[in-house]
Amino acid sequence: MLLLQLLINGVQVGALYALIAVGFSLIFGSTRIFHFAHGSAFTIAAYVFYDLVSIEQIHWLIAVLGASVAAVLFGLVLNRFVYVPIQKHEGSFFTVFVASFGVGIIVQNLCGMLFGRAFVAVNSPLSQSMELLPGLYVAPLSGIAIIIAVVFFVGLQLFLSRTHTGMAMRALSENPELVRAYGLSPRRLSMTVFALGSFLAVPAALLSAAGSGLNPAIGHHVMLISLAATIVGGVGSLRGAACAGVLLGLAENLSLAWFEPQWSEAITFIVLFLFILFRPSGFFGRVTAS
Amino acid sequence: MLAYILNLATLICINAVLAITLNFIMGYAGIFSIAHAIFFGVGAYTAAYVALHASASIFLVIPVAMLVAGALSLVLALPALRVRGEYFVAASLGLQVLGVTVFSEWKSVTGGLGGMIGIPPADIFGFAVTDPVQFLLLAICCLIPVLLITSVLLRSSFGRNLKAIRDSESAAHAFGKNVAIIKTMSVVISAMLAAVAGALYAFYMGFINVESFMLDTSVLLMAMVIIGGTGTLLGPIVGTVLLMLLPGIFSYMTFLPQTEIGSIQQIAYGLAMVLLMIYRPGGIVGSGKPRITKEKAA
Repeated sequence: MLLLQLLINGVQVGALYALIAVGFSLIFGSTRIFHFAHGSAFTIAAYVFYDLVSIEQIHWLIAVLGASVAAVLFGLVLNRFVYVPIQKHEGSFFTVFVASFGVGIIVQNLCGMLFGRAFVAVNSPLSQSMELLPGLYVAPLSGIAIIIAVVFFVGLQLFLSRTHTGMAMRALSENPELVRAYGLSPRRLSMTVFALGSFLAVPAALLSAAGSGLNPAIGHHVMLISLAATIVGGVGSLRGAACAGVLLGLAENLSLAWFEPQWSEAITFIVLFLFILFRPSGFFGRVTAS
Repeated sequence: MLAYILNLATLICINAVLAITLNFIMGYAGIFSIAHAIFFGVGAYTAAYVALHASASIFLVIPVAMLVAGALSLVLALPALRVRGEYFVAASLGLQVLGVTVFSEWKSVTGGLGGMIGIPPADIFGFAVTDPVQFLLLAICCLIPVLLITSVLLRSSFGRNLKAIRDSESAAHAFGKNVAIIKTMSVVISAMLAAVAGALYAFYMGFINVESFMLDTSVLLMAMVIIGGTGTLLGPIVGTVLLMLLPGIFSYMTFLPQTEIGSIQQIAYGLAMVLLMIYRPGGIVGSGKPRITKEKAA
């Protein structure tokens, strides 16, 4: 029964990781920007939601809207005022990484100053667990998490394969020069990619705020996971990132049956390390590692 | 005031050793590791363990710390030989997270989250270094050899091989250079010298715990190298001095709420990283373009 419980928890956590990883993978895959501050979009969305619902007592639908606007704005502002200027003179991978990490530090500490460093959570009847089978507790939230993850993922796939903008986004990852030759603006496209990618972090952020709770450092953890999922799944493959997100969620939770919880992050990274050594292109990725 | 300056100068020396050794692999071998704090940590924990259980003589502690860190650095060399770019970053990130978990969970050796306390002062031929001025001298006496060793190595054929590999691995291979051995050597040397900084830190603080060896430290070290100028000799030192002086400024601003000083310092670090990357990505000593080494600087 313990294993079944851990399996269900694993799928729920994995669904959230998959959503965040897909957002990061979308941004990284199409623009080649190592957006380490993606975790900050998550943190911002979660704290805005918490602030509006639990402190300002506003209806949750408006709070969801507020959180989405905040995350998307963050992504757009970051791209316009940090990444674009850096890429103007040269887009060295590490320059972008350091700047992005710096943004992560700023957001984490600002949230700590504004909301305190302790764990907070949005109270919701949805997070109350029910005993489905003897010894098996499931909250309605885990069902919602899985449904939302599937809906968003299918929606994203349709958007990327059916719409004009979606196809242009995929083209951007293949060849930015050709995109320009077709009269599209790579710059405007990367803005759209950032808006969409940051928006994908919102549902996961809200579900975490209502479920397991959040603290200012949560973005950091989330970022490490989505980075790992992107590599394990294969850079440039959204399907891979989603599968790897679920896999890492499962690995993290199933490992609780044998190891202490402090080891869960380390286990994620052992999986990542082995993948990089033995299969650097991930499950579905093209062979890009040289 | 004097005590404050001495403390700052000692910490600058220790961090400069780390930045120089990181620059050695980042700027010259093209191995962008964000696990450097782990070798710093391995050095510090090994030094503390040896000092507590055997002898505090620096002639025993520092070599042992260097050996252990050098041996463990082979784990980092493994992915460095197979992948480049973001894949290697992810691998070194994995190593960093793994290392922090081991530091905080291997309680019988590292003392867990509480860390190791009561590390005896450094001992040189039976003379205990307790005075801050003497310790600063010791730190300088470690910084200078590290600087000398790295610059001599970089001027030698080994350094030219490293740069050749950084610029084109296949070209170096075609010239008959053993790429795998040269890369592994550079990682091992860098980790061994970083362990010297770790040992100094353990002796200086008398107390260590995992907090000093987290991802933030690795990124801060990376920021020191990049801000100072990757692939230059003076760059890492300039970057270290700059980033170490930064938090001190805020301690003098008495109008800031004292409880938030830590957060404000962190925000200032973050902001400095972002702004410098936008306006001066090649570093202060660099030529404006990172990863391109000036002939004179080398």
